[in-house]
Amino acid sequence: MLRVRDLTIRLRHQDQPLVEGVSFAIERGELFCLVGESGSGKSLTALAIMRILDRDFAPPSGQVWLKGRGQTQDLLTLDEPAMERVRGDRIGMIFQEPMTSLNPVWTVGQQIMEVLRLHRPELDAEAARRRTLEVLGEVQLPDPERRFDEFPHKLSGGQRQRVMIAMALVAEPDLLIADEPTTALDVTIQAEILKLIDRLREKNGMSVLLITHDFGVVAQVGDRVAVMHRGRLVEQGGARATVAAPQHEYTRQLIRALPENLPPLASVQRGDRVLEVSGLRVYFPVLKGLLRRPVDHIRAVDDVSFDLAAGEVLAVVGESGCGKTTLGRAILRLIEPTGGSVRYHDQAMEKLGREELRRIRRRLQVVFQDPASSLNPRLTILTTLTEPMAAHGIGADSEERVERALRVLEQVALPADSLWRYPHEFSGGQRQRIGIARALVLDPDIIVCDEVTSALDVSVQAEILQILARLRVERKLALLFITHNMGVVEYLSDRMLVMKDGRMEEIGATAEVIARPRADYTRHLLSAVPRVADHVGRAADSGHG
Amino acid sequence: MTEHPRSLSWSRRILSEMLLRWGARLGLIWIVLLTLVAVFAPLLANTHPLLVQSADGWHSPMLTHLTPADATLLGAFFLALIVLLSPGARLLRFLLWLVGLVLIGVVSLALVSPPALVVYEQYREAEAMGEYQRVIRAPIPYSAKDYLRDYADTGLESPRSSAERLHWFGTDENGADVLSRMIHATRIALSIGFIATGIALVIGVILGGLMGYFSGIVDIIGMRLVEIFEAIPTLFLLLTFVAFFGRSLYLMMLIIGLTSWSGYARYVRAEFLRLRQQDFVQGAIASGLPLPSILFRHMLPNGMAPILVAASFGVASAILAEATLSFLGLGLVDDPSWGQMLNQAVQSSTFNWWMAVFPGGAIFLTVFAYNLIGEALRDAVDPHSRSGRSAPPAKATA
Repeated sequence: MLRVRDLTIRLRHQDQPLVEGVSFAIERGELFCLVGESGSGKSLTALAIMRILDRDFAPPSGQVWLKGRGQTQDLLTLDEPAMERVRGDRIGMIFQEPMTSLNPVWTVGQQIMEVLRLHRPELDAEAARRRTLEVLGEVQLPDPERRFDEFPHKLSGGQRQRVMIAMALVAEPDLLIADEPTTALDVTIQAEILKLIDRLREKNGMSVLLITHDFGVVAQVGDRVAVMHRGRLVEQGGARATVAAPQHEYTRQLIRALPENLPPLASVQRGDRVLEVSGLRVYFPVLKGLLRRPVDHIRAVDDVSFDLAAGEVLAVVGESGCGKTTLGRAILRLIEPTGGSVRYHDQAMEKLGREELRRIRRRLQVVFQDPASSLNPRLTILTTLTEPMAAHGIGADSEERVERALRVLEQVALPADSLWRYPHEFSGGQRQRIGIARALVLDPDIIVCDEVTSALDVSVQAEILQILARLRVERKLALLFITHNMGVVEYLSDRMLVMKDGRMEEIGATAEVIARPRADYTRHLLSAVPRVADHVGRAADSGHG
Repeated sequence: MTEHPRSLSWSRRILSEMLLRWGARLGLIWIVLLTLVAVFAPLLANTHPLLVQSADGWHSPMLTHLTPADATLLGAFFLALIVLLSPGARLLRFLLWLVGLVLIGVVSLALVSPPALVVYEQYREAEAMGEYQRVIRAPIPYSAKDYLRDYADTGLESPRSSAERLHWFGTDENGADVLSRMIHATRIALSIGFIATGIALVIGVILGGLMGYFSGIVDIIGMRLVEIFEAIPTLFLLLTFVAFFGRSLYLMMLIIGLTSWSGYARYVRAEFLRLRQQDFVQGAIASGLPLPSILFRHMLPNGMAPILVAASFGVASAILAEATLSFLGLGLVDDPSWGQMLNQAVQSSTFNWWMAVFPGGAIFLTVFAYNLIGEALRDAVDPHSRSGRSAPPAKATA
């Protein structure tokens, strides 16, 4: 169907190739996964097949043979008009970010019909409309008749991704390239989209090239898999066989780094209670009119109660928009809660004055999701680490503070000369460690970790998780671990709190909740998680927290 | 601590990124050139000879006729050189320079007192009489207000038309040398740009910062104030004030500054609203840092870049406003200004091209230079426009 041979991509005026000698073949009706960490060149490979690389790249060398419709063509040698007929018609493509890949000024129907006008000019307006509605039905968009005339902003992320798939499929391509199609989506929606792609593949006999970083997804839907590392293919083979018994050292490393395969943690003695949250509510007013009067409230966090002990990890789990981030920020008083109380060591936070609050903040620290924006780009790491210490009078003089900063850097496994550098010189994982170091210098009791590993590759995620697990033992830290990643929850947390629409669905010991979920929503959520273990039968030796 | 190699700071990176662009380099060269010309104007264009040797030895009429403003400018320039070359924290050195500037200003006001009556002809006459053994003159031996009374019957003359006197850019209707007037006018052009924009920046950053950080009711009131000030037409306000209070350069600076801050306030407000949501600011709040540190250390420096871009365009428009006023005949009376010279190009029945081309060209180049710098700064600050040219796209290197 598609045969890629010796594909090599390099930037203009640069000898070092970004993708080198990549060869693979996709059979008809097969779901082929391309797996790798960020920067491994898997997206570049897809863009090169579609011939939509940036101008910064030199024309790729090698061959890309596409077979079908009674002929075999090398896509890399086709002229541009012929290539335009291949795109959309023979190969469809969907991208990662559904929020920005639809044109906001056109209706859903118009955007899909444009593809038809281009590739099926023989269809008249009525037939094109019929075909569009049919394909919208195929991707299970509810009420296609009405969606046809709607603008993209009215659709949710999952619905937009369905429209994108409909757009890629409307001309019935032989090959669908899906570049991380579910990474930006919630896990329940991810499960639906993957099921949809799989079903459409069977129905239309189409091949799929699925680019992903998630081995769970590979094990769940993949037929065959190729693993990329630094621009080279290091291994390819049957999906399940590869995941179960990886041959190459790098693949083995990746599989070992999955949270469920990390060595199990030593259990920690639960200490005294450090935090008690009762009936916490955060309502955002909906303002209307000239005087901006509140007409309604959005209940971001609605009546949430729990407590947290020293050395304990409580995971807060839920899908995007469920209020888990708002909950974390309300506890830290970065957002003023509407009601309820947060007690730190029997001290009611909401009753504290401004100065008292400022002083207590050193005990409650936070690490953020996005390593790119969590450090001030204008300050050296030294300043970032020592300024909070000075503000809280930790360390007698600047020399002592530098000493302390160095010790903390050592704990998060960063070299000492990092102190004199600026944030842009560090990778995402290193910045995240600096973020942890910034929290640690203040000697906190509680750290709120807000999706700390979501933006990281799986091997980097493993490092961060192990650092957090070690610190929790060494420092008796209580962690409020906000995440949507079930694997991480199982690995790290003692208890878990499931949230939906601002409300608590369920709270309990992690193993207990996972084994016997009480709420319907929890069951639904857990069943949607793609697990390597479920598909390769290694549930027995995966580590639970 | 100092033996550790410090890596490039953010501002250094932006600066070097900006200087990669040819436009920025040319613009900066032009502005630096203008600054030098403004500082050394009395040495470049002066009727008073720099040095004369007469019967009673060497003396310098140029120095005795130096005004306090000339002395302050020269002093400030050399102090800036010293401060730039000396080590120490940047902020500290800048504060030192400011203190020095005030000191020099006070000292030169007290000590420097040029003769009240200036007789420009005396040196030319004395030289003609053979009273001096040697005379060292400035490159352009005419002061800005030297109307060449000793030559009788002077007025508008095109460049290099007179046999006995050399005027590179011709003379104006009073008979003064155009090049000399242009050199002395750079001071007005530069100072009105910097001071008016400086006033606007201070007001804009303070109000905008308050609006952005505290939002809520402060923001609502502040935005209404911004809208009120945006509704005031600067030029007509200037005309009214000139009619009521007479012509004054300082009044002009003040009014241009007071009416143009609203744009900066909007920028700063938007930046602060954005920065407040940034994780590192939230992290600073969560670390319990005091409010001044959050505002001035974590937010302001990160929000300053787009404001500097706007300011460089603001300087250009302030220069244009002054030129417009002077062109309309409402500027300064006797002091040289580019706009006022432009005015003379069309006043008499003939079109005096040299009065249009040279001052007009200077205005054009200066405004263009500031716009080039502003544009380059914007490109350097904006990571999207940067990615295409020098750095490979992020996905390829991540």
